[in-house]
Amino acid sequence: MLKMEDQKLKNKTTIFLILIFLLIVAFIGDIFTGNATISIKEAWSALFGSSGNVIVDEIIRNYRLPKALTAVLAGAALSVSGLLMQTLFRNPLAGPDVLGVSAGAGLGVALLTMFSGTALYPFIQIMGNMGQVVAAIAGATLVLLLILVVSSRIKDSITILVLGMIFGYVASSLITILQSFADPDSLKVFVTWTFGSLGDVTLDEMPILATIVLSGILLTIILQKTLNSLLLGESYALSAGLNIKRARIIIITIAAVITGSVTAFTGPIAFVGVVIPHFARAFFGTVNHRTILPATILMGSILMLICDIVSQIPITNRTLPINAVTAMFGAPMIIWIVLKRKKL
Amino acid sequence: MRVTNFKKINNIIVIFSVLVLVGCYSGKEKREIITEGTFLYTEEIRHAEGFSIDYYKEFTKVTINNPWGNDHKPYAEYYIYKSGDNKNRVLEKGKYAFYAPLSSLIVNTFSYFEFLNLLNELETVTGVTDGFRIYNPSILGKIERGLVKDLGDPFNPNIENTIELNPGAVINSAYAQNDSYSERLLMTGIPVIYSLEWMEETPLARAEWIKMIAAFFDKGDIASHIFDDIENRYTDVKKKVEGVGKRKSVLAGDNFQGTWYLPGGESFNAALFRDAGLHYVYENNYQRGSIGLDIESVLTQFANTDIWLGCEASSYNQLINKDSKYRLLGPVNKRQVFNNHNRTTTSGGNDYFESAIANPDLLLSDMVKAAYPELMSNYSYSYIKPLN
Repeated sequence: MLKMEDQKLKNKTTIFLILIFLLIVAFIGDIFTGNATISIKEAWSALFGSSGNVIVDEIIRNYRLPKALTAVLAGAALSVSGLLMQTLFRNPLAGPDVLGVSAGAGLGVALLTMFSGTALYPFIQIMGNMGQVVAAIAGATLVLLLILVVSSRIKDSITILVLGMIFGYVASSLITILQSFADPDSLKVFVTWTFGSLGDVTLDEMPILATIVLSGILLTIILQKTLNSLLLGESYALSAGLNIKRARIIIITIAAVITGSVTAFTGPIAFVGVVIPHFARAFFGTVNHRTILPATILMGSILMLICDIVSQIPITNRTLPINAVTAMFGAPMIIWIVLKRKKL
Repeated sequence: MRVTNFKKINNIIVIFSVLVLVGCYSGKEKREIITEGTFLYTEEIRHAEGFSIDYYKEFTKVTINNPWGNDHKPYAEYYIYKSGDNKNRVLEKGKYAFYAPLSSLIVNTFSYFEFLNLLNELETVTGVTDGFRIYNPSILGKIERGLVKDLGDPFNPNIENTIELNPGAVINSAYAQNDSYSERLLMTGIPVIYSLEWMEETPLARAEWIKMIAAFFDKGDIASHIFDDIENRYTDVKKKVEGVGKRKSVLAGDNFQGTWYLPGGESFNAALFRDAGLHYVYENNYQRGSIGLDIESVLTQFANTDIWLGCEASSYNQLINKDSKYRLLGPVNKRQVFNNHNRTTTSGGNDYFESAIANPDLLLSDMVKAAYPELMSNYSYSYIKPLN
């Protein structure tokens, strides 16, 4: 008996070590990949000193490095958020945007784009690049508050899920209305935002994103036991002494805050949050959050880095938006999971 | 719920620290560059309202005016020196130092190719966007030979390739919205020359922006002469229609997904109509942009119009096949429909969006010839052509 558990533990540890190794490889690979002609030697020296070429230094240190860091943070955050949603609602198709938080962020940005040419211009200009971030966070927070108000009154989790999706649809239709009034340039500016971009977070802004994401992930790790008991069903969790309403509120808030923040900095990124928890469960053959949570974090970062590397491949002079790549990876992955696995 | 409150406070702290960080945002380090000097005189700008050029003993100052804020702060200020370390730089947000002449340029707007060509500085272009939609044959040839780099989407150009090109400046259209590409360029230290020529309401005002870009090459005098010529040629054409008795009426724009976008009365096209001696139903309208009308209103209001400019089709058959309702329009019946496709490339390039800005006299001549061909018998169409 002990031997089998020993073996299981050894396997898990091996897989985790492999994952950590993959993460490092993917991270370095992402820094070496790009459209400018930079040799590996140059990239390496730019990271740790200077390559001798100011332009190479600039590209590596101020563009590729923050981009790779953003990929790690965003991949982990969205995957953890997806896991929280799938556990809370016991729904394998739930993802970070299931509560309409991403749509809320989009609504904030759409309003900002729409009002930039009006009398609000001076207030908007002061914020500069952070204007989009602030607007997105404001929109996401608004949706979160709506969800929290609703969830404090409703007993049934599924109802909250449905209402969250409805809020998301409402936000999306408001965005459509705004777009119908917009001039072509504002429209293009907004649509470009919806493509998602990992390269817009500067090293100065990175601490903000990192703080939010890491705090959220830390809180999730602390909540492992709660998450595990939720998996067994709400009535069991209740009998085990869990305050369902409070747990719901905390989980929803964590998921919304990290999803909203990531979306604010990178634009909406789809699929990663839905797919990675499934992969973690499939690889480790368990649903125990003690294993799944770190697995989700690592796999999420790795997938995002891989998607970023793939998105650098130039296709007729343009590179693919990150959203397109995550969809191209994510969709077949989901199909594979649905067909191969019976029930997760 | 204590935990909920904590989360809400967390949110507030996050937003607050974001705003604080924004407040602490400082631009590039200021170097020892003088921005105060002995004022000499201001360049005479007769039509354009979006920029001004002031000559100082120590430098030339180009100011791009801000059409959106109401505090009259400029959108951007450029200090152009004749000598120095030749490193164009960002002084702080909105202020840039340049050393004339510019030696390399990324052009993110089609309007400047002809300006640069007239100033004999097209050679300085090292990067463009939307390469497949460019008409200018010289630039197209250079893209093919790898001498000019296509940076892709004008709203989202390739950052790495831009930084690698290390241009002296990037010419970008200015918008009310914050532009993440410009922000990234500024962070990297590459200065952006913002252009608002697209907001000018008359053809001569737009053409006058040649003086703006000429300042960066220390070619102010040359630009002045070129513009004087342009203005004279334009006025000559305008004079031709002064004797016209009955003005012809004009329709412009086309149906787009159920809405017909017509030029507003204060728009660029309306100014051309006026100067071409054309009567336009909306000539007294106050709008500077487009008026979106439904099809039925267009059909009723323009049933007896004389000519239609800016149709999207190439032939009458194609037009009627697209929508038989077009038959109800006056110009279609009179076979007086014109499109802007006289100078195009197969991949979507159209000179109407490139050199026309520097040739307002040709734009006007095109219109006058379309309306009153007898006045322009020695002239052949430049940018427009009748449907076949």
